[in-house]
Amino acid sequence: MRLLNVTAFFFAIASALLLYGLNYDTRRLEAEVQAKERLADRARDDIAVLKAERGALARPDRIDAIARQLGLSPPRVDQFVTGREVSALDERREGGNGR
Amino acid sequence: MAADVYGGTGRRIEAGQDVRKRRTRSVTETAVYAFLFFAFAEVAIHLLTLGLEHQGGVTLAVSEPVATSFSRPDIVDRNGRLLATDLEAPSIYADPGMVVDRDELVEKLATVLPDIDSKELLRALSDRSRRFVWVRRGVSPKVAQKVHDLGLPGLSFRYELKRAYPDGKLAGHVLGSVNVDNRGLSGIEKYIDEKVGTDPIHAAVLSTRPPVRLSLDIGVQHALEDELDAAEKLYQTKGAAGLVLNIKTGEVLASASIPRVDPTWPTQALDSKHLDRITGGTYELGSVVKTLTIAMALDEGIAKPDTMVDVRQPLQVGRFTVKDFHASNRPLSVTEVFTHSSNIGAGMLALEAGTDRLEGFLRKLGMLTTLTTEEGTVAAPQLPDRWGRAATITVAYGHGIAVAPLQFAAAAATILNGGRPVHPTFLRRFDTDSVDEKPIITENTSREMARMMRLNVSGPDGTGKEADVPGYRVGGKTGTADIAKRGGYSSKSVISSFLGAFPMDDPQYLTFVILFDPKGTKETHGHHTAGYTAAPVTGRLIARIAGQLGVRPMEVVASQ
Repeated sequence: MRLLNVTAFFFAIASALLLYGLNYDTRRLEAEVQAKERLADRARDDIAVLKAERGALARPDRIDAIARQLGLSPPRVDQFVTGREVSALDERREGGNGR
Repeated sequence: MAADVYGGTGRRIEAGQDVRKRRTRSVTETAVYAFLFFAFAEVAIHLLTLGLEHQGGVTLAVSEPVATSFSRPDIVDRNGRLLATDLEAPSIYADPGMVVDRDELVEKLATVLPDIDSKELLRALSDRSRRFVWVRRGVSPKVAQKVHDLGLPGLSFRYELKRAYPDGKLAGHVLGSVNVDNRGLSGIEKYIDEKVGTDPIHAAVLSTRPPVRLSLDIGVQHALEDELDAAEKLYQTKGAAGLVLNIKTGEVLASASIPRVDPTWPTQALDSKHLDRITGGTYELGSVVKTLTIAMALDEGIAKPDTMVDVRQPLQVGRFTVKDFHASNRPLSVTEVFTHSSNIGAGMLALEAGTDRLEGFLRKLGMLTTLTTEEGTVAAPQLPDRWGRAATITVAYGHGIAVAPLQFAAAAATILNGGRPVHPTFLRRFDTDSVDEKPIITENTSREMARMMRLNVSGPDGTGKEADVPGYRVGGKTGTADIAKRGGYSSKSVISSFLGAFPMDDPQYLTFVILFDPKGTKETHGHHTAGYTAAPVTGRLIARIAGQLGVRPMEVVASQ
């Protein structure tokens, strides 16, 4: 009987410790999860900001002004050729290199 | 003996009592153990169920002092380039109970936020029963840092979502705007609230919804806005507008109205000067409407392209006389009525068809009913009070009927689309649903109209010569409409427009450029008519966008 009492007592102590440990672990994990979620949120916000910045940098009126400064202009009709003409050009160049 | 007997009896009694006692104790013990066992078992079961049960996210009911905001999906153009997105931005608020010196706070704040309403803020802060007063919502991180550096007690920050438009004013009219709570007020932003959906949020949480893909092409939109800007300066117009429409799908590739609006400042759009003239205003468009009249004449079998019309005598309409801009001293063919832009010719063809047929034809093309797009309801057309003889003649050359440019463009596109109805849309369309619809005019009429429009640009005496871009087979029709003034029309101020399309061997894209009250320049020899103003603007526009739209130029000689 006494043995049973002692066993029960130790069992109670052991389970209390176990529960305490589990509780502690849970809190730690929870904090970790929260930290990770915050990081992910921060990353998402950063992505949004970068996306907007890239959009602002690629805005056509800005590119237009820069391109014109560099001496570029919208393509002219005579600057378009068909794919066949391009490959013909390539062949001629390759032939030239071979010689 | 007796004692023995008694003693014996006493022992027996004692022994009997012992047994009873022991039995009672074991019963008590069993009960205690059983109780303990059940108690532990209950705890174990409880733990197990807690562990096994799926726990949803813990919800905390916190009394929220701040109005709920909304997270919105991004808006991108047809190629996925960003037009609008949500960004996290700090908002500044004050707790009147914590503010030490109200005057100092307002004074110092004004150094960082000069446009703050000091009086209003002072009044709000003097109410000590309040715990929350917005100072400024959605400021830039830099400004927030400056306010923070002032070190004023009672001021705090809260992160909120703020709508950002990385392209500035580009397509501002189409995009619309949102209010401070991130709810759509107008344009596509309002459409998102009504049809796509937004999510209420309590903190700055970005939307997880897929972006809304518009039909607009940023490159084409920029080219259009740039050319309209240039035209406004060159011809000193009082505003300009234009659109580019895909004839096959009804997708609006670009839509602009000058002066532009900045979606970041919603109040700007309320100013009548900043009206979106493509969808929000109706105008008497003038001769461009002859495109519809002549299509009606051909489709109803009233005339053929070579049918001669006697336009030598002016048409009498009540007190008015309908004359031609360049009077002709010989009868003109229907094709010439179109290329010479003869008011008399168009009026006579309409009279021959009769009011009912003209009205019916315009109704079929959707010119007389209210049009709705994702950007909102298009301004309702203004129609003649009575469709009599006078209305029939004036409507034939685009007066007495006022429609929104987008609505007219859709009708013209239907004519060039082999008669299949074109429903303009601001969203990217992946299927051409108009293919299933029954054509409302014949393929032949459509082809003839395309030929006439091409001839009007390529021919020696066409009014749209200035719109030609060698290689791209441009076709079109000019329109110079006198602006209605009190008591009549003024020929000094006009609406000059050009309806263009290319490539005319199989029309793919339609352009419509409208200049409001342009002035003549030295290059135009002082003329302000469409052939000298709107037509060259269209030519420059098409030269810029045709390549972007993937239209292959032809050998210049072959294209003529």
